[in-house]
Amino acid sequence: MKRKIIIGILIIVVICGFIGYRIYSEETADIVNKNPDEITDVKSLIAAFDADTASASKKYIDKIVEVTGTVKKIDTTGSLVLGEEGHLSELVVGLDRRHMKDYEKVKPGSVAVIQGICSGYSKGGGDDLLAALGTTVELKSAGVKNKK
Amino acid sequence: MLKKHLIATLVLTLMASISFSQGKYFTKTGKIEFFSKAPLEDIEAKNKTVTAVLDSKSGAMQFAVQMKGFEFEKKLMQEHFNENYIESNKFPKAEFKGSITNNSEINYAKSGTYTAKIKGKLTIHGVTKDVETTGTLKVDNDHLNAESVFNIQLSDYDVKIPSVVKDKISNNIKITVETKLEPLKG
Repeated sequence: MKRKIIIGILIIVVICGFIGYRIYSEETADIVNKNPDEITDVKSLIAAFDADTASASKKYIDKIVEVTGTVKKIDTTGSLVLGEEGHLSELVVGLDRRHMKDYEKVKPGSVAVIQGICSGYSKGGGDDLLAALGTTVELKSAGVKNKK
Repeated sequence: MLKKHLIATLVLTLMASISFSQGKYFTKTGKIEFFSKAPLEDIEAKNKTVTAVLDSKSGAMQFAVQMKGFEFEKKLMQEHFNENYIESNKFPKAEFKGSITNNSEINYAKSGTYTAKIKGKLTIHGVTKDVETTGTLKVDNDHLNAESVFNIQLSDYDVKIPSVVKDKISNNIKITVETKLEPLKG
């Protein structure tokens, strides 16, 4: 009886350890080709944050967002900038580590569909040096989506 | 006639170059990485959407980083960073406001590598502290490559490490900043 209890406890400890290790070592998910929570375009996304930051934050921040827009700048170290030429309000995209080469799929001036997690919004104000940069919405863990 | 045109072109080019070299530079795709070596786990994360502006005339500079923009390899680590340590919902941004104290020694009109002495205020987790460090500023035609590596102590910014893992997570964090700044037009 005592032996059975010890074996039972050992099995429980091993199972708990295994589950704990799985949780601890789980990698952040690749969300680029998952179903998005929201679908929008760069202009509407920026306008939404400019019009009502609180409700746009609730709608987009921490959500998987698919955004369509014109590529303005490609940074081969892992970032893209989307927006309209001549406007400093932009969507800035940090590419996921598994999608670092996705910049090769787009060209400046081309329309791209990007998917990532909306990680923040900023708009400079007052005598702030960053005020001149307009509105910036950010996506992280992103990649260029292959549309059907 | 041709000589006059040539001189006029040269003067205009020079003026344009001077006006850029005395203006502001910016990026929205700067990189900030942090690393902490500790017995329990090495903590490292990268943010690829750092915003920065440098006014080459005065040496004033500003950086802003969305804390939720840091990407970790491990899901649990990313969750703990945002929810328990940095409290990203409450303190969404980190910011540096300061200046290059030896700005007069940097010739923004001439390609070359310069050592920049940087002094300013760094705000993380709602706590602002004075920071002094050095960085490398590489003037490369019309753009600048700015790099800096410095250390901060988590305790200085009131980032609380749970007592169970206090001895296993380092209080010392190495921060690496890499930005390519381009002229801010308009």
